[in-house]
Amino acid sequence: MRRDRLTPVERFAAYGRGEPLDRLPCVPIVGNTAARVLGVKVSEFRGNGKLIAEAQVAAYRRFGYDVIRIFTDLYTQAEAMGAKVHYPEDETAYLAAPAIASVEEIASLQPANPHQDGNLPQHLEAMELAFQAVGGEVPVTGALTGPFTTASFLIGTENLVRLTLKNPAAVHQLCEVAYQGALVYAGAILDTGCTPSLTDAMCSTTVISPRQFKEFGQPYLKRLVDFIHGRGSAVTLHICGKTASIWEAMADTGADCLSLDNAADLEAAKVKVGQRVRLMGNVPPSEIMLQGTPAQVRTAVRTCVRQAHDNPKGLIIASGCSLPVETPFANIDAMLDAVRKIGWPVDADDLENES
Amino acid sequence: MSNQTETLFRALSDAVVGMDEDLTRQLSTQAVEQGIDALTAIEHGLVDGMNRAGKFFETEEYFIPELLLCSDAMYAGLDILRPHLKHAENQIRHKIVIGVVEGDTHDIGKNLVKIMLEASGFEIVDLGRDIPPQRFVDEAVKAQASVIALSTLMTTTMDGMAEVIKLLQKANVRERFKVIVGGGPISQSFANRIGADGYAAGAPAAVKLVKQLIGVAA
Repeated sequence: MRRDRLTPVERFAAYGRGEPLDRLPCVPIVGNTAARVLGVKVSEFRGNGKLIAEAQVAAYRRFGYDVIRIFTDLYTQAEAMGAKVHYPEDETAYLAAPAIASVEEIASLQPANPHQDGNLPQHLEAMELAFQAVGGEVPVTGALTGPFTTASFLIGTENLVRLTLKNPAAVHQLCEVAYQGALVYAGAILDTGCTPSLTDAMCSTTVISPRQFKEFGQPYLKRLVDFIHGRGSAVTLHICGKTASIWEAMADTGADCLSLDNAADLEAAKVKVGQRVRLMGNVPPSEIMLQGTPAQVRTAVRTCVRQAHDNPKGLIIASGCSLPVETPFANIDAMLDAVRKIGWPVDADDLENES
Repeated sequence: MSNQTETLFRALSDAVVGMDEDLTRQLSTQAVEQGIDALTAIEHGLVDGMNRAGKFFETEEYFIPELLLCSDAMYAGLDILRPHLKHAENQIRHKIVIGVVEGDTHDIGKNLVKIMLEASGFEIVDLGRDIPPQRFVDEAVKAQASVIALSTLMTTTMDGMAEVIKLLQKANVRERFKVIVGGGPISQSFANRIGADGYAAGAPAAVKLVKQLIGVAA
C-alpha cells in the first residue's frame, strides 16, 4: 500500500492553499475504539486523562488518520452540571438520569467549571497531553457538545422537546446556561492547544424541525463558533441523523466544516453549501464500518469521493459519526487504504471502476 | 352516524392534530355526556387524529415535539373515554412487549413506536429502557404477547437484540412471538442476520410491519 508523503498538518495546510496533496484527508472518527488499540477497558478512560491521551495517540499512530478527537461520550459537560452518567465496564457510557426534572429547577443550574467539575479536568488533561505529543503533526481536537444537546441531557430529551413548543422561554434559559458552560469549556480547550470540535446531536431534523433548530440550536452554535474564530481556530460542526433541510442554517453558524451523518447525501450537500463549507463524511458507522467487510468499506469510500471530491471548499472522507467501539481494525485500515489508493488528484473516471 | 356526531369526531381528531390537550379532554367529556359510543369516538376521533399526525411526521410537517404533544392530547382523551368501553372491547387486542435494550437509555424512538402502535389498537407492555434480554423473554411469555419490539440507538447494545432471540430459542418459545427491531444503527440486513422477523425505519413503518406480521387488517 502507498505510504503517506505528508503529515496531517501539512496535508490540511496544502489542501487549504490549493496545493498538490498525496491523498484526501481521511478521518475515521475514533472515540472509545482507541481503548481497543491499547487493550484497555472503556471504563478505564473515566477520570484518566493520561490514558485517554495515550490511547488516542496510539490509535492515530496505528491507523495514520488526519484528526485526533479527544472524545469518550457526549455527556461530559452535562455530567459536570449534574447529570448522572452510567459507565458500563467496557462499553460507551450512557445517560442514567438528567440533572433536573422540572422547569422550576433550571435556575439552580450553574455553568460547569472545566478545571473542577465532573470529568472535564481529565478531558482537558487528555487534550493537553495529546497535543504536546503529536500536535505538531496532526490536528488534535476536543469534543464540545452543543448547548441544545447538553440541555437535553440536563432536563431529559422528551421534556426538552415538549418544552420547545410549550415553554420556549424555558428552553432558552436551559440553552443559555449550557452555552455559558460550553463557552468556558471551549476557552479551556483552546488553552490546551486543541481546537473545539462541535457536536449537536439533538439538533438533527430526525428530532426537531428546521424552525426549531433555527430558534434553539443555531443561535447558540453561532456564538460558540464566533468565539472560537475569535481565538483564531477553524471549527467543525457535526449534527447526527437527518440534516438536509438545515445545511444552510448549519453553514450560517459560521462553521468552517460540516460533518454529516450517513443519513445525508454528500452530493446534495455539495450543491447546496459546498461554496461555503468543507464537507466531512459519511461512511455508515454501523452498517459498513462495524458490520461490513473491508470491500464494502472501500466501496463506501469511493461513493463518498465520487459524490463530493470536487466540493469547492474541500472534502474530508470520514465516518458518518463516531465509530462503534468494536469496529474491526481491518475496516479502519480499509478506509485509509481506499483513500490512499484513490490518491490525488482524484481521477473521476477511475472511481467508476471497482477496486 | 348523525352529522352532529361526525362533527364531534372531526373536532376530536382536529384537537389531537392541533396538540390541544384541554380541548381534547373537553370534547371527550362531551362525547361521554352525549352517550356516544366510546370505541367509535376513540377510533374516529382520537386515533384518526393520531394517524393524521403520524402522516404529518412522515412528510416532515411534524417532528418529534409535535408528535409527542399530539400523543399527550390523545392520551388525555383516552383517559376519559376508556372507562366507557364495553368490557369485550378491551379484551381482544394483540399484546406487544416493547423496550430499549440494556446499555441504552435513548427512548424517544421507542416511545414514538409505542404511541403509534397504541393508536392502532394494540395493547402495549412498555418495559422502559436499559432492559436486560432475559426480561423481554419473561415479560413476553407472561403477557402472552404476539410481538416483541426491541429498540436501540447505540451500536454497543445491538448484540442484546440477538441475545433476546437466542434466549427465546433456548426457552423453546421463539415461534410464539414475532420479534421486530429498530433504531438508529439498525438495518434490514442486521435484522435478517440475527433472525428477527422484521425491521422498521420509523414509528409509522413499525405499525405497518406489525400489522403485516400478525395478519391484522391495516
